[in-house]
Amino acid sequence: MATLTCEPPKAKYTIKTPYNLSPRIQWLRDYYFQGVKRRWNNEAISWTTGTPWDFQFEEISYYIVPETYAFFPTFRSCFIQNARPVKLHPDFWKWSLPERRAWFVREVMVNYMPHEILPGDLIAGARFNVQTSTCLNKAEAKQYEKWVYSKNGTRQAAKWFHDHGYGNAGCTDGHLIPDYARVIHKGWKDIYAELEQRYHNLSPKEQKGRKGAQLRAMLTAATMARDVAQKYREECLRLAENEQDEIRQAELLQMADNLSRVPWEPAQTFWEAIQSLWLTHMLIMSEENYPGPGLSFGRIDQYLYPLWKKSLDEGMDREFGKEILKCFWVHCNTAYDNLIRTGGNQGITAGYGQLLTLSGMGPAGRDMTNDLTYAILEVIDEMSPILEPKPNVRLHRNTPDELLDKIVEMIAASQGSPFLLNFDERSMAGMLREAKKANVEHLINENNVFEYAPVGCLENTMVGNDRSGTVDLNLNLLKAVELALTGGYDLIPYTDEMTGKTDPRIRFGPDTGDATRFQTFEEFWQAYATQTAFIVKKIVELFEQTERVIATFSPTPYLSCLVRGCAEKGLDVTQGGAELWFATIEGVTFATTVDSLLTIKYLVYDKRICDMAELIQALKDNWVGHEVLQAQALNKAPKYGRDDDAADEMAKRVMELWTEETWKHKTRYTGRQMRPGMLSWNYWVADSFILPASPDGRPRGKFLSNALCPSNGADINGPTANVNSVGKALGGKSKNGGGDWEKYINYLPNGGSHTMTFSPSILRDPEHRQKFKAFLRGYIENGGTALQINMLDADILRDAQKHPENYRHLLVRVTGYNAYFTSIGKELQDEIIAREAHRM
Amino acid sequence: MNSLTARILHLQRFSTEDGPGIRTTVFFKGCPLRCAWCHNPESLLPNSQIQWLETRCIGCNTCIQTCPEGNLRRNADGSLRIDREHCLACGQCVEACPANALEMLGRTITLEELLAEVIKDRSYYETSGGGVTASGGEPGLQPEFVAEFFRQLKMENICTAFDTCGLIATTAFEKILPYTDWLLFDIKEIDDEKHRRFTSQSNQRIFQNLLRIAEWMPSLPHLHLWIRTPLIPGATARPDNVAGIGAFLAQHLNGKVERWELCAFNNLCRDKYRRLGIEWEYQNTPLLTAEELTALTEAARCSGFPGELIIPSGATRVPVLESEGEAL
Repeated sequence: MATLTCEPPKAKYTIKTPYNLSPRIQWLRDYYFQGVKRRWNNEAISWTTGTPWDFQFEEISYYIVPETYAFFPTFRSCFIQNARPVKLHPDFWKWSLPERRAWFVREVMVNYMPHEILPGDLIAGARFNVQTSTCLNKAEAKQYEKWVYSKNGTRQAAKWFHDHGYGNAGCTDGHLIPDYARVIHKGWKDIYAELEQRYHNLSPKEQKGRKGAQLRAMLTAATMARDVAQKYREECLRLAENEQDEIRQAELLQMADNLSRVPWEPAQTFWEAIQSLWLTHMLIMSEENYPGPGLSFGRIDQYLYPLWKKSLDEGMDREFGKEILKCFWVHCNTAYDNLIRTGGNQGITAGYGQLLTLSGMGPAGRDMTNDLTYAILEVIDEMSPILEPKPNVRLHRNTPDELLDKIVEMIAASQGSPFLLNFDERSMAGMLREAKKANVEHLINENNVFEYAPVGCLENTMVGNDRSGTVDLNLNLLKAVELALTGGYDLIPYTDEMTGKTDPRIRFGPDTGDATRFQTFEEFWQAYATQTAFIVKKIVELFEQTERVIATFSPTPYLSCLVRGCAEKGLDVTQGGAELWFATIEGVTFATTVDSLLTIKYLVYDKRICDMAELIQALKDNWVGHEVLQAQALNKAPKYGRDDDAADEMAKRVMELWTEETWKHKTRYTGRQMRPGMLSWNYWVADSFILPASPDGRPRGKFLSNALCPSNGADINGPTANVNSVGKALGGKSKNGGGDWEKYINYLPNGGSHTMTFSPSILRDPEHRQKFKAFLRGYIENGGTALQINMLDADILRDAQKHPENYRHLLVRVTGYNAYFTSIGKELQDEIIAREAHRM
Repeated sequence: MNSLTARILHLQRFSTEDGPGIRTTVFFKGCPLRCAWCHNPESLLPNSQIQWLETRCIGCNTCIQTCPEGNLRRNADGSLRIDREHCLACGQCVEACPANALEMLGRTITLEELLAEVIKDRSYYETSGGGVTASGGEPGLQPEFVAEFFRQLKMENICTAFDTCGLIATTAFEKILPYTDWLLFDIKEIDDEKHRRFTSQSNQRIFQNLLRIAEWMPSLPHLHLWIRTPLIPGATARPDNVAGIGAFLAQHLNGKVERWELCAFNNLCRDKYRRLGIEWEYQNTPLLTAEELTALTEAARCSGFPGELIIPSGATRVPVLESEGEAL
């Protein structure tokens, strides 16, 4: 007899709540969640040079958020309209653009923005959301307009690309891990000294040239954090003077003292380290005019540990150390104030992602978990649910049981796992493959690959010297199937909803022949492969166009100070200064593509249930009138995600094809190498309304597959089969030695998002928690690079849909990011409810 | 050897309720008992049956056109009538149904195929101390196959569990137990008259088999014995039954039973009966209350059987919630 078991009733309607918060933290957290009702906030403030051609809003950063396209002119105008003038330096217009930018941002942050300390706060650095002038002169502004707004400009190109179902691309901010460890341990003065040295080593001719200008800009930027700290120090002293409470007064004086040293000098205590980290970090968001888009902290429990230990040894109360961290947590969340009055849909509000990494492997497979790892996990547990910063815990074969126990316990107590899990063996395999493919083995190799860390959600990069442009290019792999079916045409010509105009019949893709005449599946595959090469080339072309604009007009000299390679080359990070210089094509619609190919093979060639013409007609009709064929496509054809070796082989074949195409491309403008990844953010939802019906039985409007996950409902053989399929799609393990890392193969250096939903019953007692722990250990062996766990009961979600007011804090994972369930759109809500919950 | 075949219902991967760790459970087809509360009615008969899944059906009538015997018909309410008396379970309708709304319950699988399938989760067995469970139906009705299946699994270092109702030939245990790590042995009812009434069979051989196994245990040092008792409202869920079973175990299997699971009744199989067109006596039986489960567990603990080895499991009745979705 097999015993079936229901979840215990008490698991229902229980939502994780914060605990163990001091009155200080409780107040700061509650205040934060008052949102728009707060008197203080960190809403973006706009600043101008005062010229008639000036503007602030850099729309290219938002090309990867198609929902915002319609608002670009509005955003642009309202920031211009609300911009406050900054009195310019008399020589301002004589300087190069990077120098103008460096000076302007510095001027705004030091002399114009208010410097405030929230009640009880232990960390200084409050308002940082700004829209600063692009600082273009008239000629530059004209050139910019031509490149961006004209008929052949980036805006039209991005819109065309998205409207026609290819995906989106744009050179975006953030998404990297700056060299924070250097600032904390050596101070900004170390960076400044290096820049000075390098500048003096230039020949007079070089000093007058582009290199000299860049280094001067970086020198200016390198003093910004120091001078902002000074302003906050003055504010602390002012508050201390009027403070009646002696304890608070002492805190303020200590903060002033901290700020007199950091971030210019090396931090001497844990408190100083967090202060140094926060100011340095927030000013990047100021300079990029973009709050926290994947601007990540890296292995925070590693580089902060020496100071954590030192302060504990010197008598810091461990709980006070956590209190400092909790203040830091609140600060990270204020990034969302940027557009606080706008709200959002489909998880846009959750699109930030200041990711921090915990634990993981060190040299020789050693585990690096330490006391700070646990302290930070406690902070997360006590503060959750809260959106930022996003934690990612790195697991590997030698992860100690104690850490796994803590992780499983935290997952059990939350409605969704409060962190992402990254898997070292598979991730490192991808990074080493990247090293080989891009000839950067001197920068990524067996001796340092374990130092990798994810940015944003789960996008693996190296630390402090790597801008890999993760999520800059988002490609719908499915488009190649469509083009192969039609021989290069859109299946349904695009109609502009605003103008009502329909595209004339134009062949956009290569002519791969009449698919109805293909005799074998291999012939179809060849057409598909040609179209895949085409769409990859096409997205790189769009990206190049946007990259040229950013590299020319949007220097970020402050950030460049924090990325190794920029000072040495005298090159801005936007121009390829970083030692590791990639852009990542994130493959979207993977499983839908694989399943579509499997279905074509099954229906047309293997079983001859229909011919190609009939299938194409069914797709044109969005399956209406072809319901039996659609049912056969949905139910009879093999699918990826069931641990069916033949189907998973197709998944691997698709993966190999598109990743190899990706490696072939480098941008001409900055020599930026393309690399593959799979994070589909929310595109699998939004683009499902753009892409026509697909051969796997999906009608237009039914969601595409998410990142590396099997199509919805396809994983009928349970979670282990799902995991095994995902691992195989990434390349699996080498059978005869010679993997990328030990036996592991990984086609995606960036990694891939994999989400699984479990019913809470899976963790109902200690015995089942042990089983879940073993499942995670099995994932290390067989699975992908990253896993997000939803622990949800569909009843809770339905109730939350009906009574959002009762579930304001209900966090769910969408793909690679968290979102408040009640803040996302109805379609996405329905989708999450429909997602198969793995019951035990 | 690989020409051996078995009649099975299906495989369940990531099974967490049929022995230690993460397991793959193989449900064998055919059972000697007819327990009134059975949760797997589709596993009772050794031969195949067809079932229709209403929610998947798109109403295309492909099946009706396909059936060579004309045994399928659409009822006035749109439901599909399967003439079970004449259905040969040839499977042509199952093959033809585009929506997988018709399902074949039961298939023949070769040893080779089955091994290839269960080996896919080896990593999870290793990390969890899990393995493969033979369940059903009654796997012990196909002893040659199960014994060989287990023998080959042991050669692969995969842990095995044999979930049995106990009513099989003693020789079947003799064949299977040398390759069995966990024996999950059901004792449902201590009273023979009641046992006959509930299951249609006497419990005499079940107890005899258990006593024989107890005798063999010193020579089977790898064998772990778990006893499982279903707690069925109005039937086995009686303190005297639980106490009687406990006393029997304490007296005759002292120190040999590692765990005694008390499995609370659940009604998740209601739809299975409906699909098979069988009236189910327990259709509207509510779950045990938490108090009832506690009382039965208490009776077990007072029976002389070591209390720390008693594990109650399963769902109890959901108390009516005072307010839905309490505010944060």
